[in-house]
Amino acid sequence: MNFPLKNTSLFSGRWLLVCLILIVAGSLRIPVERDMELEFKEQGFRDWSPGLSSRDQLTQAAFVGALGGFRSLVASVYHLKAHNSFVKKNWGEVERYRTVTASLQPKFWSYWDLAVWDMAWNAFGYYRGEAEDYGDDFKGWQIENIVMPTYLQKGIAFAKRGLEWLPDDYRLLKVIADIYDQKMGNAGKAAEWYLKASRIPDAPSHVYRAYAHQLTLCEGREEEAYRVNEDLYRNSGDITLTLLRDLERLEDGIARRAASDMPFDRLMSAAQAESAGYLEMASLAMHLLEVKKDLPAATDVYEKVTGHPRAPSFYRRKLAFLMVEDPKKAVRGYQMLKELALSDPATLRREDITRIGQLESRLGIPEAKRIKP
Amino acid sequence: MFSPLRIWAIARNTFTQLVRMKVFYFMLIFSALIIGANLLFLSFTFEQELKILKDVSFGAMSLFSSIFAIVGTALLIPKDIEDRTLYTILTKPVPRIEYLLGKLLGILLLIAVSILLMSLLFFTVLYIRQHGILAERIASFPRQVSEAQIESFREDIFSRGLQPELLLGIVAVFLKAAVAAAVALFVSTFASSTLFTIIVSLVVYFIGHAQSLALDYYFSMGEMHSAAQRFFAGLIGVVFPNFQLFNVTDGLTSGEVISTSLMARLLGLTAFYLTIYSMVSWLVFAKKEL
Amino acid sequence: MANSSTPAVQIEGLTKVFRLPFKKEQVVAVDNLSLKVGAGEVYGLIGPNGSGKSTTMKVLLGLISPSAGKASIFGLDSGDTASRGSVGFLPENPYFYKYLTGSETLAFYGKLCGLSRRKIRVRSEELLEMVDLTGARDRRLGGYSKGMLQRIGLAQALVGDPRLVVLDEPTAGVDPAGSRKIRDLVLELKHRGISVILSSHLLEQVQEVCDEVGIIFRGKLVREGKLDELIAIEDQSEIVLQNATPQLLERIAALVGEEEGAQLLRCGNPRTTLERLFLQEINKGSRQGGEDA
Repeated sequence: MNFPLKNTSLFSGRWLLVCLILIVAGSLRIPVERDMELEFKEQGFRDWSPGLSSRDQLTQAAFVGALGGFRSLVASVYHLKAHNSFVKKNWGEVERYRTVTASLQPKFWSYWDLAVWDMAWNAFGYYRGEAEDYGDDFKGWQIENIVMPTYLQKGIAFAKRGLEWLPDDYRLLKVIADIYDQKMGNAGKAAEWYLKASRIPDAPSHVYRAYAHQLTLCEGREEEAYRVNEDLYRNSGDITLTLLRDLERLEDGIARRAASDMPFDRLMSAAQAESAGYLEMASLAMHLLEVKKDLPAATDVYEKVTGHPRAPSFYRRKLAFLMVEDPKKAVRGYQMLKELALSDPATLRREDITRIGQLESRLGIPEAKRIKP
Repeated sequence: MFSPLRIWAIARNTFTQLVRMKVFYFMLIFSALIIGANLLFLSFTFEQELKILKDVSFGAMSLFSSIFAIVGTALLIPKDIEDRTLYTILTKPVPRIEYLLGKLLGILLLIAVSILLMSLLFFTVLYIRQHGILAERIASFPRQVSEAQIESFREDIFSRGLQPELLLGIVAVFLKAAVAAAVALFVSTFASSTLFTIIVSLVVYFIGHAQSLALDYYFSMGEMHSAAQRFFAGLIGVVFPNFQLFNVTDGLTSGEVISTSLMARLLGLTAFYLTIYSMVSWLVFAKKEL
Repeated sequence: MANSSTPAVQIEGLTKVFRLPFKKEQVVAVDNLSLKVGAGEVYGLIGPNGSGKSTTMKVLLGLISPSAGKASIFGLDSGDTASRGSVGFLPENPYFYKYLTGSETLAFYGKLCGLSRRKIRVRSEELLEMVDLTGARDRRLGGYSKGMLQRIGLAQALVGDPRLVVLDEPTAGVDPAGSRKIRDLVLELKHRGISVILSSHLLEQVQEVCDEVGIIFRGKLVREGKLDELIAIEDQSEIVLQNATPQLLERIAALVGEEEGAQLLRCGNPRTTLERLFLQEINKGSRQGGEDA
């Protein structure tokens, strides 16, 4: 095979041909590669781009590694570094490393979750301990009022960033609500985020319940709270203790407000109307009990309430306790409590159990025959 | 005149030559250590543990196969020249193209075998861990576990462990190393020393990862880029291979799926790169003064 | 001896200029060199180091391309891969693949020549026998001595049944015994009708095997011709006698004196060569229980 070109100096025809081939081949493959790149991006393979911010966070080697296709490896390394920093309680480093890990693998829920947990639970808890140690010192105040809330905000910030990548992960939404509820006592925000979380299709039912519960803690949203909780009570098929207690509290609140705001005759007519629900009767009973202080009348009305098919079971407990106040009905009242203890123990709250104990002592019921909740 | 048998003879010889080199064994052992070390890593949840296991193993395999592809290829031709064995080969009726192809095939075989070995180790570790995790999960369950629950645990855990999709990742690791080897072969045909070849090939390797960024720059409609800058960016995009395309393992371990068509295109692209680089290697080598 | 009309080697006007990269200087390695090796001849290319011997051979073998002129082997241009079907080459100081055994090495090169497995086996046996390495066939080349490496090198050059063998400094660095073996092998080749072109700067050895010799100096072929013609001192004659009595010698001297113009230059014991003495001693020693060199 004889080539016409005999020279091999750098600028000879041979080298020109080589460059030409490389350029032509390059131009041919570019469109194919661009298409593939786009497809990869769509499929979620290009979650990270080497922007300037990442260059700041990563060491030189890590940046090169991330660029070189070892993104996950680098993320794993930083995950381990974060763990080490956690052990050393170096929260600044923990935050930095968690940021890197999550940004290199943004579609992996666990890394975001860990970041939130390290900030809002671990760091927060650590500083709370510190604050206690400092006591009333200025430093203590500083930690409690500046540092601790900052870490809560950092936790929330991580979760929100995670949501940009994983908008349909209910866990990130829920964890924000958890922070508002457990750490900040902000029932309104907690309710808002629990609701968002519950809207995700695969969110478990307890998320919605958490929303319902938080509503009951919010000032000025009683109507909404009642609507949601009542609906849960009627339709969810699973009545938790929390739900029962919340519902009772809400209904008591409604009845009490009606009892104090509305005049007696309006209450009467409402309770006696054809379409009267048990709440109208309960309001009347509440009024009779607390305003008019008419025990027997209240007892009668409560009896009618318990007769209503939709009345929740705690009304029977209320009725029972009213009955034991009346010496004529005391025994029957006690029987009722006994039945409730057996058939529906959820209706008896802790204070009720204490009262029953006191009642039994008063009535002289022997130990063997007492209610054992 | 073209003889696949001759190419195979050279390939096998190259394979044997490289297998004996200490550097090969060091790399293999080192990567094995890294993959095996996964058994020691602490993690909180099994999702993290399995993901990190996969990430670290893929990372180790990719790193070592790419480095070995470059270093191993870089010394092939210089060594033959230094030992003068090249003369004994090329003075037989062996066309220079067959020599090049034989060398390339030899190192590709070696890379394939080492990746295979590393994958076996990787899968073994993964298998051990996922079963271990399952056992731990069952043991730590507070109540007696039903068959259905075991089944759901197993599905949950194993879906993040040993899955057939991982094979695609392994293929991608090989393809990337193959292209790196082809580049190194080309550079070695005109390079003056092994070290020079290694350095240049590594530089090409790294630029190849950022090549797509250069192209983004070129294609972007921004007014800020001057014609010269855009031309330069375009040149980089055209001349350097796009290594970034082969980085599918990051997505794979996050649970993404590669479509068959993408995989097929990746294979085709690799074949294209190998062909082009073999061609230009031949153009340079054919008239190289020996 | 084969006597075809196509010469084994034909080099015409070969010039090779090396241009140093990034410099203006040029090195003329070979300057308008022409030579011909007939079929079945042994040609010796002699010259000092750096005179262009290796370069010429490399051009002949297609490893380098000429700046001007042509080179061909049995009529086929050196640039053509086909031309190498009839050539075997033994480079200077070769290392082969150290981890291969003798027979594996031959098998490898045999495959490169396109021989079938059976043919390779047959040929390897033959060649190993010919170069006297049958005993070392399963030993790795890493354990071969210099002489053994040269011999396996020669075997490798012959594996494709070439009609031309090119040897670059075949006896450089080899001890006299090994050297002798190699020279014997070259003569064996000649007997089989294989053409040989070899380069050397060990003149004594060239003298023993070559038919024709070319002296190359600074890239030019300064002298060429049949060996006998070149080194025969034309106007002198040599007579070697055994068991001649002093009286006989006197009578011969007297005869010479009677002839016009003739002159008795030297009379005495001819010298053997140091090499022959050396070999004698070694052979004596090895007969008393020595080892294979």
